[in-house]
Amino acid sequence: MNLNTFYLAVAGLILAPLVGGLVAGVDRVVTARLQSRMGPPLMQPFYDVGKLMSKVIAPASHWQGMFVRWALVASLASDVMLAAGADVLMCFFVQAASASFVALGAFCGNSPYSKLGAQRELFQLLAYEPVFMVGILCMAKAAGAFDAYSFMAAQGPLLFKMPLIVPGLLFVVLVKLRKSPFDIAASHHMHQEVVRGVYTDYAGRDFALLEIAHWADVTVVLWICSFLWATSPLTMVVTAGLFLFAALVIDNISARLTWRTMLGRVAPITLILATANLVWLYLE
Amino acid sequence: MFGSFLKTSQVKSPWLMHFDCGSCNGCDIETLACLTPVYDVERFGIINVGNPRHADVLVVTGTVNKRNAVILKNIYDQMPSPKLVIAIGACGCSGGVFREAPNVLGGVDKVIPVDVYVPGCPAKPEAIMDAVVTGLGKLKGILEAS
Ligand code: SF4
Repeated sequence: MNLNTFYLAVAGLILAPLVGGLVAGVDRVVTARLQSRMGPPLMQPFYDVGKLMSKVIAPASHWQGMFVRWALVASLASDVMLAAGADVLMCFFVQAASASFVALGAFCGNSPYSKLGAQRELFQLLAYEPVFMVGILCMAKAAGAFDAYSFMAAQGPLLFKMPLIVPGLLFVVLVKLRKSPFDIAASHHMHQEVVRGVYTDYAGRDFALLEIAHWADVTVVLWICSFLWATSPLTMVVTAGLFLFAALVIDNISARLTWRTMLGRVAPITLILATANLVWLYLE
Repeated sequence: MFGSFLKTSQVKSPWLMHFDCGSCNGCDIETLACLTPVYDVERFGIINVGNPRHADVLVVTGTVNKRNAVILKNIYDQMPSPKLVIAIGACGCSGGVFREAPNVLGGVDKVIPVDVYVPGCPAKPEAIMDAVVTGLGKLKGILEAS
């Protein structure tokens, strides 16, 4: 590892959660505007996390605190790996580990809502992970290698070689941003019991760390989506922005689906489309 | 700097938990009206949460009676410190028209300490928002003194 890679990794470690927090702020402002409201300030997610950090509350279980920290480490590690140009597939696995830790932490809680949320989190993992993986395989096949820098150095936009993975990636973005219709384990905007399921027993500092892990996850997912048009940094930002905006619009115009629809219909359809694209790339 | 950011955040991010302690629903409707686009309390970073472990401000509407006093105390105890309590409406403040009823204990302050009282039957959304802002001013004073 040379010094440049080290600097990039450190930048990824520090900037990725900040970008995720900013995305959450933009999300809340845009959503409020779509609902004819003014909405909170752009920095509101940072205030929320700062507030949660300073709260004094006993954790629901000691294991929970440990799982939250592991989730945070795994999420930040996936950001660092992407920034340092590591294997994108490995980064994807590390990110999946983070989501599993969140579910495991929720299983440690006492509340039935928390356990229900944890189960739903696992259903979500089952639904979006395969299609996300096939999407990354498509990108790797077209770019000729698995490392992030090769994805970014690919000749021309990857999008034209893999239009069929776009619905799958949008599905992943919706699930990871906890957006309707796939806000099944926990909703980003709603704050009542079952719809906030997996977060029920997390509180205070643990909840703040979990939020930071979530920001890091969002950055990873949008970053991977931006590889579809990685001809310049600007096009990457625009691509990620388009995915985010599409997710916000869908969130505001759709109602929540059940986990059965997600797992039984949406996941197979997006997976079949992405796999067809992968086969096409191999046959080409 | 980080410490002052944390203190500022506590004032800028009040998450409310609304507990209907036996209200006639008049005050509940006015409380929920604060979330609508007309009043849009999210402007102030306020979110209505359904989980006491996530809440900073407990908004209580209605009278306290012998059955729900335990639940009110339980919710209050589950909230992380520092926390604020706002009693909404004549019922929340003193028991209102129901204070002489045999099952009614009185206002919210019979069970838990109340920081801000909002009079009215029902209390207006503007008054409720003003109460939250007043409560945050009080919290800010406490944080600065500590
Ligand atoms: S104060 Fe009036 S409106 Fe509010 S709960 Fe009591 S009776 Fe109903």
